[in-house]
Amino acid sequence: MIECKNLTKIFNKNKNDEHIALKNINLSFNKGEVVVLKGASGSGKSTLLALIAALSKPNDGEVIVNEKRISKMPDNFTSLFRRENIGFIFQKYNLIPTLSVKDNIILPLIPSNPDEKLLENDVDKILEKFSINSKKHMIVKQLSGGEQQRVAISRALINNPKIIIADEPTANLDAKLSIDFINIIEQLKNSSTTIIIATHDPLFFDLNFVDRIIELKNGEVI
Amino acid sequence: MNINHFMIGFAINSILRRGVKSFFTLFIFTVLIFLLSSILFISNSIKTELGLTLKSLPEIIVQKIQAGRHTNIELKRVDKLLEFHGVKSAVPRIWGYYYFERAGVNFSVVGIDAFDKQYKESFEQITENFDFDELNQDSSMVVGEGVKKVLSDNYYKDYFNFIKPDGELEKITIAATFKSSTSLESNDIIIMPKKMVLKIFGMNEKKATDIILSVANPEEIPTIVEKIKNLYPDTRVITQNDLRVSYQNIFDYKSGMFLALFIVSAFTFFMIVYDKASGLSSEEKKEIGILKAIGWKIDDILKEKFYEAFIISFIAFLSAIILALFFVYTLEAPILRDIFTGYSRLKPDFSLPFVFDFQTVALLFFLTIPLYIAAIIIPSWKVASMDADEVMR
Repeated sequence: MIECKNLTKIFNKNKNDEHIALKNINLSFNKGEVVVLKGASGSGKSTLLALIAALSKPNDGEVIVNEKRISKMPDNFTSLFRRENIGFIFQKYNLIPTLSVKDNIILPLIPSNPDEKLLENDVDKILEKFSINSKKHMIVKQLSGGEQQRVAISRALINNPKIIIADEPTANLDAKLSIDFINIIEQLKNSSTTIIIATHDPLFFDLNFVDRIIELKNGEVI
Repeated sequence: MNINHFMIGFAINSILRRGVKSFFTLFIFTVLIFLLSSILFISNSIKTELGLTLKSLPEIIVQKIQAGRHTNIELKRVDKLLEFHGVKSAVPRIWGYYYFERAGVNFSVVGIDAFDKQYKESFEQITENFDFDELNQDSSMVVGEGVKKVLSDNYYKDYFNFIKPDGELEKITIAATFKSSTSLESNDIIIMPKKMVLKIFGMNEKKATDIILSVANPEEIPTIVEKIKNLYPDTRVITQNDLRVSYQNIFDYKSGMFLALFIVSAFTFFMIVYDKASGLSSEEKKEIGILKAIGWKIDDILKEKFYEAFIISFIAFLSAIILALFFVYTLEAPILRDIFTGYSRLKPDFSLPFVFDFQTVALLFFLTIPLYIAAIIIPSWKVASMDADEVMR
């Protein structure tokens, strides 16, 4: 389903502070698979996720998703591709702190001008699923870290994506909330969603529903 | 067209979320458009007023000059002037300025007689409406609206005591007020029978202040002027064109000052636009990065930014225009108007005529709103064109 061919990403190329983040990565991810990318900070996990989600373009190589060369697509197509296929859960949540919970969750759907009633229904369902329905109209910055992360997950799932990408999802959570998150991922696995998680949290390394663990070091798969 | 209510809602939300910043932008934008539009409205009003005033001026004015100064002219010259080919009429005018010390204003006192051919349309109407013999017998006058107001403010509701050159008082009753086509023209005028004007100013009955001529063919004016100068070397002949140039010079000088004010306001506006165009805050950049990351296309982001900029600039524009209309035409543009009308400070106040020039409003609209929208859209486009990952970093 997802293929990374000879992926190379260099930041500040040809400048004094040039940094090779990924070197010639070749990987593939199957439909419904849960894959954990592990490695120390700066190993290239986040960069790889950004390339798979077409948030940035590789200097060399390509990313193919469902036979579409997304790394070669023009900007507007990659945005549309993300909207229709990918739910991204960021390490720092990347919510808009001054918007309400509901307004943050519906953000990915706004450009498609959805039907108001159906949207309201979808939002209520997802809020209930993550037990934050009482916080629907609260401003996000007033929520706890765990609640904010559930809002971020809800936003990632509102468009029923086929691929979920999570970057250090438990980095800002305590042990209990981390386990809650793992339970959510397990539920998603059952709906045959492809899930790629970049983490160095040991909690993820012994989970029985994780299909593969890939380790990165200095931008290379080891 | 399918309007995306969610997008508009998000744009309104964005404006409200940046409360202080949005309010400040709205305030500055409103003040600048208000200043620009007020200047244009005042300028348009005075231009219209001036145009009407010029139209009502006589074609030729003949004045007698003695020792380099204007002095009264003999009435017998009227018949001589009428003998010139091309002169349609010659009317002696009796008029002068009366300084009302208590109010610190000058009134233009004009004497007319019902049987004379009137050189102004407004005077024609007055002679039709009032019996001048009766005005003479009753010692009455007809005053412009501005005069009426000044007199009322100084306890002269029904009459006025003119002080004659010999120091004696001449009590004249206010018979009525009149309104001419232009307030610049009519506002400071007092009209009364000629005999009474002669009495108030202590003038010789066989003399007039000046003589005005109308001609059959305006092309002949230069020839007639030359003939008058040849016959009466002690005269100064002023044509309508001379007056037009003189009025226009005053107007141009004043509008030069307004232009300076206009340029300062416009410059400030462009500085703000430039500041906006030169970049976005880190918070705004990050927000664009987030929107891109969750699937917004560049044109979705630009559409949202367009709504934001349009809402702010349109509200500011509309408020500024309404405020300017109120300021100029209801409050009579205090302070700003003085720049233009300072030269007539000794005359009673006049009202700015309401002139709503759609072209002026359209000019302001196209000079400000698209510029502001562009100043918002361009930096947003620059950020939205970058990789979402790079923007969020």
